[in-house]
Amino acid sequence: MSCSNLTMWVSSKTSLSDSTALSFRSSITPVQLPSNNSTTANPSRPSSVTPIHCGLRELRDRIVTVKNTQKITEAMKLVAAAKVRRAQEAVVNARPFSESLVEVLYNINEQLQTDDIDVPLTKVRPVKKVGLVVVTGDRGLCGGFNNAIIKKAEARIAELKGLGLDYTIISVGKKGNSYFIRRPYIPVDRFLDGTSLPTAKEAQAIADDVFSLFISEEVDKVELLYTKFVSLVKAEPVIHTLLPLSPKGEICDINGNCVDAAEDEFFRLTTKEGKLTVERDIMRTKTTEFSAILQFEQDPVQILDALLPLYLNSQILRSLQESLASELAARMTAMSNATDNANELKKSLSIVYNRERQAKITGEILEIVAGANALT
Amino acid sequence: MTLNLCVLTPNRIVWDSEVKEIILPTNSGQIGVLPNHAPIATAVDIGILRIRLNGQWLTMALMGGFAKIGSNEIIVLVNDAEKGSDIDPQEAQQTLEIAEANLKKAEGKRQTIEANLALRRARTRVEAINAV
Repeated sequence: MSCSNLTMWVSSKTSLSDSTALSFRSSITPVQLPSNNSTTANPSRPSSVTPIHCGLRELRDRIVTVKNTQKITEAMKLVAAAKVRRAQEAVVNARPFSESLVEVLYNINEQLQTDDIDVPLTKVRPVKKVGLVVVTGDRGLCGGFNNAIIKKAEARIAELKGLGLDYTIISVGKKGNSYFIRRPYIPVDRFLDGTSLPTAKEAQAIADDVFSLFISEEVDKVELLYTKFVSLVKAEPVIHTLLPLSPKGEICDINGNCVDAAEDEFFRLTTKEGKLTVERDIMRTKTTEFSAILQFEQDPVQILDALLPLYLNSQILRSLQESLASELAARMTAMSNATDNANELKKSLSIVYNRERQAKITGEILEIVAGANALT
Repeated sequence: MTLNLCVLTPNRIVWDSEVKEIILPTNSGQIGVLPNHAPIATAVDIGILRIRLNGQWLTMALMGGFAKIGSNEIIVLVNDAEKGSDIDPQEAQQTLEIAEANLKKAEGKRQTIEANLALRRARTRVEAINAV
């Protein structure tokens, strides 16, 4: 019974126009497996889209898949949005610290301007080897975020090679780690994992590493490559020199804009008359006065010694936070795009599906009418 | 006069309220601070900060940093600070043992520097619990 039905169906299909050629192709496959069909055809009679029409079923499956994917991307987008808020809170929490720090540092620098101070972290040595701290994300699915920062690192490496300098990498974040592990010709000093929310401990781990590299004179300059968070839709990979810290450089306004503490200041390693030099551009901003009479308990050098690691730490922490915020923002945008795409795909798939379904119904009606006509 | 203490770490504000007296671990030894102290700036070592609150002494492990004492206003900026009561004794003891082992294994200038720092941090945390 079902077999005769099938042949009828196929023949009626052939009589249809060329536009259904595709569906015809797929509907012919079940004919080769009649035993399979006879079992399934009868119980699923009420549902119009029987397993016979594979084209329709495949379409339906695809629609379901797209729907599920869309649900996932939508959820990821929402999660990223929630996390961006947390990341922003972390930045806000770090603000009182960095504000007081910059304020104190600024004032102490002011008082020490005249003295000739010598602090290990500020020692500018002739550069032979450069340490690069590359901050990447832990997970993918965030657009070009990880790619952009890795490309930046590659560009910097090429630049350093061009200058004839040695380099070593400190990789932070799983994505960067796997990238550098796959490329054994790039010297990596240490792999560090990022966590969901950067903490002072993590920054400390990086700072310790950087600190010992610099103090033991293994490297003469440390650069931090991270993604600067500009806005929810814009983030750019930047290079920021961590060490040597310039004892005169840490200046910024204290009116809440301290997250950008040293952003006004850029260091560039360039060649000047065949020699390597570090160029500094500093933009001075106003700072309010604070208590003028301040005694130093210890040597000013010791106090700076205590302050500069703190400064280093807060710089690293801030860059980690910015990197995380950028990653989340990138993921949010990517997932929002994916959701939009899924919506579009779902729409066009449903149109195709409905067309095919209608063609099938039309075919069935033709069949019935033809049968009735033949009887009379 | 009241004395206000503010302990800040990069993550959060650990302490921001009134105290009676504190003992601060500076690089040049411990100094006690009472109300109306002269304004000074000092480096803070890795060590224990003792805080007196109504006759009760609290401890806090400080991981090195800086302190500024102004007109009855103390600002302590440190990499990390933990209240003695918040530290898990077992975990701290374990960390100390690991740090000690690491120092023995350390080779070269760089590893020794790192291991020494880690050991001092671990030791301070243990001391902060036991000092109460």
